[in-house]
Amino acid sequence: MSDKDTIILGVIGADCHSVGNKILELFFTSEGFKVVNLGVMVSQQEFVDTAIETNAKAILVSSLYGHGEIDCQGLRELCIEKGVDPIILYAGGNLVVGKTPFSVVEEKFKKMGFDRVFPPDVDLKQVANLLRKDIQEKFGQARQKEEERSL
Amino acid sequence: MKKVVSIDIGSTWTKGGLFVLDDSRLSLVKKAAYPTTQNNLVQGFTRVLAKLLDKDDQASWPQLAGEAEVYFSSSAKGGLGIAAIGLVPDLTLNLARLAAMSAGGKVISSFAFSLTRKDLTELERLQPDIILFSGGTDGGNTKYLLENAHRLKDSKLICPIIYAGNRSVAEDVADIMQNKEVIVTENLMPEIGQVNIEPAREKIREVFLKRIIHGRGLSEIVDLFGSQPRPTPLAVLELIAAIPGFNPEWSDLVAIDVGGATTDLYSNTESYLETDTVVLKGLREPRVKRTVEGDLGMRVSACYLKETGRAYIEERLQEMGIEINQMENFLSKISMDSGYLPTTETEMRLEQILAETCIYYAFLRHAGSWKEVYTPQGKVYVQTGKDLRRIRSIVGSGGFLSAGFSAEVINHPLDKLRHYGNEYKLLPEKAILYRDKDYLFPLLGNLVEKYPAEATALALASVEIINEEVERHA
Ligand code: B12
Repeated sequence: MSDKDTIILGVIGADCHSVGNKILELFFTSEGFKVVNLGVMVSQQEFVDTAIETNAKAILVSSLYGHGEIDCQGLRELCIEKGVDPIILYAGGNLVVGKTPFSVVEEKFKKMGFDRVFPPDVDLKQVANLLRKDIQEKFGQARQKEEERSL
Repeated sequence: MKKVVSIDIGSTWTKGGLFVLDDSRLSLVKKAAYPTTQNNLVQGFTRVLAKLLDKDDQASWPQLAGEAEVYFSSSAKGGLGIAAIGLVPDLTLNLARLAAMSAGGKVISSFAFSLTRKDLTELERLQPDIILFSGGTDGGNTKYLLENAHRLKDSKLICPIIYAGNRSVAEDVADIMQNKEVIVTENLMPEIGQVNIEPAREKIREVFLKRIIHGRGLSEIVDLFGSQPRPTPLAVLELIAAIPGFNPEWSDLVAIDVGGATTDLYSNTESYLETDTVVLKGLREPRVKRTVEGDLGMRVSACYLKETGRAYIEERLQEMGIEINQMENFLSKISMDSGYLPTTETEMRLEQILAETCIYYAFLRHAGSWKEVYTPQGKVYVQTGKDLRRIRSIVGSGGFLSAGFSAEVINHPLDKLRHYGNEYKLLPEKAILYRDKDYLFPLLGNLVEKYPAEATALALASVEIINEEVERHA
């Protein structure tokens, strides 16, 4: 137990690509996050149930095998349904299929309710910084209140 | 040579066995039974003890004490009723139920997320012996837990509340419920998917000893014989847990007890074998597990069984060429007279169908399953729940199965269940069937703590083979 921020990782759908997922786990742990890694073949329900039990601040969804768009549809709605709606959603991996430009894919995922979307060659250091900033913006106030209460 | 007595105070019968221990060999000398004396459990206990020790009925305590070591268990007055509270149904609530059942309790109701006013009314009406309150990983959710703590505080509930949720708010939860008896223990699920039910089980056991025993007038026996009782199902579970350690051939086993009111299933086997093509989702269940089903029973619960098992029952009647109304007549007979025993050939087959139905649903709920997922490079299985495929031995115990059964009673429901919807159920694939012919498992379970090698050896020596190994194909 610690006051680290909990984030959830997992590769969504029927996707078995496990290498990147392991790297992300090591990386975000070393960046000071409490990482709950659900591994490969993770359903939307599993992401959200885990978010409820762990009080996570963010879900980082990976999709490598080309079906990311279908698999990710409705995740934000499920979060709202289950009452974890302020949670931050990121998506990354091989989200682009064929020759579609990345910006078009990014736009689609943002419409689905993802806060940020990343290409496979993204600099992870930069992702960690954005994540800290987003957590501060979304949850900073609530956290301050909590700290005041416990004083 | 030492005399050892084991007695089980059941809800209808108090049963006992006299054993002798000679050169670290335990053997059964005789058994005795007497109807459970509901108003004063000690009376029936004394009767059975006197019979076992060849004393007359009116023998007094001092005459009985000192003759033999005495161990006992109790499931009188409906056993240990536990209400389980968790957060997400598949996660902490599932674990709370598992912990309650593996502690020998009966889950009388369970609640996910926030407790509503209706839930509380229900809880107050049910009057559980214990509330097992869980939810959240350590450092995880606090909102629901604090909310539920406030609701429980405002309730009229008087039973002890065992808190086994998020450690971060354990103190706050205890503070909020200062007006209740709160026992704080380790989190059932400290991390996602990590199962930690032992500490909660231990607390349930302590509460059972302190409160339940006292409340049911059993402290007299405890004082006199210096041995502490356990809930009957816990005794059986301890026996099942101990057997593989003394007999590696029995490393993977199941015991099933189809009773009048409930069906109990105990398993001891590794719940998940990691391979490249099988991915486990959700909880990794414990090696030793018990489930108990209150709607699966051959007498008292037959009215529920009729509802739960309708599909199985109807299909089976058709296969055997028996009219539905014959089953209905039989059901009304046994619901009116729970001691009724079948008299005709047909009634015996109806009785068999009911037993099969209990077994079918008990395995359905105890065993995990695989779902096939097609990925472009082939099939992958997603496993949820416990894998029972490697079970090598299935022991039928309890009133109905101990009396004798044909292999079909277990094999038929298992074969029917193997493909359930679009899932493949992880059921025993090649198991030898046995019966606990003298119904000794609960009695030997009481002796396992003190004499593990001797009690497990006698348990295995007293089972009788029903069939040789059968090879089944998926
Ligand atoms: C190894 C591999 C496999 C192995 C996987 C073994 C395993 N256990 O992981 C096997 C052979 C099983 C496999 C199967 C398939 N594969 Co494949 N596979 C690859 C390959 C060659 C390497 C993947 C890898 O491990 N990369 C190394 C890791 C470190 O990188 P990464 O996974 O991309 O992850 C990094 C980033 O993407 C990023 N990231 C990932 N997620 C997220 C999330 C967030 C929020 C952020 C910020 C960042 C981020 O950070 C990670 C760490 O640096 C890639 C091609 C490639 N060069 O990428 C194809 C590739 C991913 N596979 C592909 C395909 C099509 C398949 C199959 C569908 C096809 C098939 N015929 O087999 C199946 C799908 C199986 C399934 N159900 O998942 C395609 C996907 C095409 C698409 N998306 O449009 C690729 C791109 C090959 C290609 N060019 O066609 N594959």
